[in-house]
Amino acid sequence: MPTQPFSRRTLSVLLASALLAASASSQAHGPTRQKVSEKVTIEAPADAVWAKVKNFNALKEWHPAVADSPADKGNAEGSVRTVKLKDGGTLIETLESYDDAQKKYSYRAKDGGALPVTNYTSTLSVVADGGKSVVEWRGAFYRGFPNNNPPPELNDEAALKAVTGVYRGGLAHLKKMMESK
Amino acid sequence: MTATAPPARLMLAALLLCTSAGAAPFAYITNQGSHDVSVIDLASQRVVSSIPVGKSPAGVVASSRAGRTFVSNPDSKTISVIDMRRQQVVNTLPAGDGPVGIDISGDGKHLYAADWYSSRLLVFDALAAKASKPLAAIAVGRAPAGVAAHSDGATVFVAERDDDSVAVVDTAARRVAARVRVGSHPFALLYDAPRARLYALNVQSNDVTVIDVRDTRRPAVVATVKAGKAPYGAALAQGGALLYVTNQHEDTVSVIDAASLKVLRTLPGFAYPEGIAAHGDRVYVVNWMDDNVQVLDAATGQKLSTIATGQNSRGFGAFIGAPMEP
Repeated sequence: MPTQPFSRRTLSVLLASALLAASASSQAHGPTRQKVSEKVTIEAPADAVWAKVKNFNALKEWHPAVADSPADKGNAEGSVRTVKLKDGGTLIETLESYDDAQKKYSYRAKDGGALPVTNYTSTLSVVADGGKSVVEWRGAFYRGFPNNNPPPELNDEAALKAVTGVYRGGLAHLKKMMESK
Repeated sequence: MTATAPPARLMLAALLLCTSAGAAPFAYITNQGSHDVSVIDLASQRVVSSIPVGKSPAGVVASSRAGRTFVSNPDSKTISVIDMRRQQVVNTLPAGDGPVGIDISGDGKHLYAADWYSSRLLVFDALAAKASKPLAAIAVGRAPAGVAAHSDGATVFVAERDDDSVAVVDTAARRVAARVRVGSHPFALLYDAPRARLYALNVQSNDVTVIDVRDTRRPAVVATVKAGKAPYGAALAQGGALLYVTNQHEDTVSVIDAASLKVLRTLPGFAYPEGIAAHGDRVYVVNWMDDNVQVLDAATGQKLSTIATGQNSRGFGAFIGAPMEP
């Protein structure tokens, strides 16, 4: 008698539980965290490089993909930065720690931004190396799809590729800017 | 007064027996990025072997009693079994949808693994010679992470991360016998047998819930200790006097007086510290971001040396053990 595999009622129950599962897992992530660590050596003193990148809202000054990056409380912990990308995406990031003496700051991204990642934290630091400086950008994150068997655009490789691209692009441009002066 | 002599002599004999029977201990560090385990000989403080295991190894328990180290591989959904004498994988157990935290019974016979995606505690025959199915799969709460076996051999604690609770599992009855609410997102658990206490590390609320489990049917929260950001791993050192806690998002380690539950100091200079274990007068901290293990003096917290590991080293669990003679 039944020609369809599911009755209408079964289908609506399935749909509801699928939606529930999706919303319940929005905070979750799988067990395998990924990381990206990129470094660049710049022929400029650390103080000068830090002056360029030190302000949490200054990302637009040195990252080629960023159109705007206002931060609501400057460099105070808890300050929220809205990163607007030139291609249209947005990232919301909160300053978690700031150390002017050690020339570094850490921030955490709100999930669901322009990057295919979840639970994303990042640290930017500048270290003096004689008259040069070494800028390091490190991130820790999980893939965009928190559950088993992710689609290709939200798997570990996609997350690694996206974050690596952001860091390399930013650091290469920063080097160019600082060394062309 | 001579009455004290025989026990003293006995104790010495027992101590010598222990020392000669047990080989030098090893630390087994799971490397989630390079899919292997770095074996550190604690006598020489050097990596003596790098053992390929399954994909993205995370959880680990080194069982001296079993003479085996067990490693959970969430991305290949297996547990690798390493023979401590040969330092090689001798068995691979299929383990649900994504095993994370693991622990073993005191007698070394039963292995417990949290199956993250399917909300179950899996029970295995730890001495199985071949790949074999779990002996039991016990339903627990959402995103089970850390696992700690009670010394009574009948009770296992499971951190139910997404439910902000810890389950007390009766392994004979194969069900959750009791449940206790802890802080937000408990991940690691540490069982303190002499005090009959359980520590739950709450990644989101940045604290440690201390639970009295003298009566396993009525677990009772006795204290909540503030740690650093994202407390992740815990170990007891100095004969149980000090509780060391890694704070992942703060790059620090908290040193807590286990008697008064006061934070004595916070050690800086780690890099996404995760797993931690103590042996003798040393504490070993696994730095996920820097791919290394830092060796600390347990009494002072002073850094003594750094040992390079594989990539994305994690060491989530009791990673130190020495094979006992059969």
